[in-house]
Amino acid sequence: MTAASVPSIPDLPIIHRRRWGSWVLGALALFVVASIVIASVRSRILDLSVVGEYIFSPMIVMGAFNALVLGTLALVIASIIGFVVALMRVSGNPILVAISATYVYLFRGTPMLIQLVFWFNAVPIMFPNIYLALPFMDAPLINAPTTAVVTPFLAALAGLSLAEGAYMGEIIRGGILAVDKGQRAAATALGMTQLKVLSQVIIPQAGRIIIPAAGNQYIMLLKSSSLASAIGYLELLRVATDIYSSNFRVVELLAVAAFWYLVMTAFATAIQTVLEKVFPQR
Amino acid sequence: MSTAPEQSHAVSMVGVSKKWGAVSAFTDVTFDVPQGEVVALLGPSGAGKSTLLRCVNHLETISAGRIYVHGDLIGYRLEKEALYELTDADISRQRQKIGMVFQHFNLFKHMTALQNVMSGPVHVLKRSKAEAAELALDLLDKVGLKAKAGAYPSELSGGQQQRVAIARALAMRPRVLLLDEPTSALDPELAQEVVETIRRLAEEGQTMLIATHDMSLARDVADRVIFMEGGGLAEDAPSKDFFTAPKSERARQFLARLLQAH
Ligand SMILES: Nc1ncnc2c1ncn2[C@@H]1O[C@H](COP(=O)(O)OP(=O)(O)OP(=O)(O)O)[C@@H](O)[C@H]1O
Ligand SMILES: [Mg+2]
Repeated sequence: MTAASVPSIPDLPIIHRRRWGSWVLGALALFVVASIVIASVRSRILDLSVVGEYIFSPMIVMGAFNALVLGTLALVIASIIGFVVALMRVSGNPILVAISATYVYLFRGTPMLIQLVFWFNAVPIMFPNIYLALPFMDAPLINAPTTAVVTPFLAALAGLSLAEGAYMGEIIRGGILAVDKGQRAAATALGMTQLKVLSQVIIPQAGRIIIPAAGNQYIMLLKSSSLASAIGYLELLRVATDIYSSNFRVVELLAVAAFWYLVMTAFATAIQTVLEKVFPQR
Repeated sequence: MSTAPEQSHAVSMVGVSKKWGAVSAFTDVTFDVPQGEVVALLGPSGAGKSTLLRCVNHLETISAGRIYVHGDLIGYRLEKEALYELTDADISRQRQKIGMVFQHFNLFKHMTALQNVMSGPVHVLKRSKAEAAELALDLLDKVGLKAKAGAYPSELSGGQQQRVAIARALAMRPRVLLLDEPTSALDPELAQEVVETIRRLAEEGQTMLIATHDMSLARDVADRVIFMEGGGLAEDAPSKDFFTAPKSERARQFLARLLQAH
């Protein structure tokens, strides 16, 4: 058909249908939110001057920093554990598969809090002394009562890393399985050894695939660092709790803590966004 | 003990069988492929064509028999009347000289076309990046895709992806190229580009084993047809003869069905 055979149409504006329903819904939601905010302000549950006084206080900032360090280190260790567990799980070796599956079941299946308390309280009772010696050395490397070695920080790090390692193991396994068999066959057919296939083909792609899920886990770990307050580690929640138990400004100090958790979450989200830009999925 | 095959044969299959438990793909397959010959493996779906190709580079282990590529026993070491499977490193070394092209291209999705073609020389042969890039660009040029060197697989058409995959296999300078249905995931027009590329390789004397349902590839490019059916080798003939005067009744039926389908 040529343009000439089409009857000429005047250039008319196009009017789209109005979404009245979504406007009404939006207004309703806004009204509900505004009512809640106004009610909270009227009830004076929060004294902003107290929040301002504590938000950048050295104790709180130190607590936030400790939480960040604990959560970040735990993610790094959990990723290493998870990588090993995932490789064991896909190895096809029945013994390795059984060991890794059991690990994932136990550490994913029990509350993190129980695991933290276990490492801090139960292990020193089970093993009162830690003795570590290397051959050909006169003095042992470590010979000390367990309570002196297992500090709240170490117990929290061990607890969070091992629990999170189980989750990361499953996430990384999913990433490995998402790289199609065909690419593995192609790499093998080129003459790559299994180690090369892993390092050149599987890890680069699995790594990209797991970034969003790993970002999620990082945020979860940063918040889960608050569990360490139960074993006396001076992280953000513990510091806030200590302060409000003497001045009774409970809501203000919880708000301060919440603010710093939000800052950490923003930090983790930013890292995730950058990583997804630098390593896009193709 | 059967005698070692002639060195001049690019591929020798000697009484090769493959089965998984009770499921048999093929039994007692024997044939030789002289250097420079292009062989089309034909046969109905499930005849074992893909499996046979995957046995040649030991992606599948065989259940009986022996496979030689240029005189090398593939996958095993003969010692005191028994065959011992080689190590991962040794098998990888044997695979370097056997190229493979897949139905679904199987390009590395996180690498550009150029990086895909470079991957063998760099990661397997430990060539320098510069040297590998130069070779890769030549090969991409040869398959008509020099302009797409920087494109990722997701940015290429199926035909282009398959030509990159062929270039990737060629970068290892394979003595034998195995192609498993290289055109069957492609529209006829795109398939034609790939057939042209393969035809040019055939003219250069590249030894090839091509499993295919594409009759233009089998008739126009291959020197010889090996027809597999019913768990074994049913006919082995020059491709001219196979298409004009098939000897076996099964081959006749197979060709008649194909003609009906088209
Ligand atoms: N891993 C496996 N386990 C068990 N049986 C298998 C396996 N792989 C393939 N088979 C069987 O082996 C036989 C040969 O399969 P193969 O893929 O080699 O056939 P093909 O000739 O390539 O068919 P097509 O033309 O459809 O590609 C089929 O019956 C198939 O079901
Ligand atoms: Mg097949």
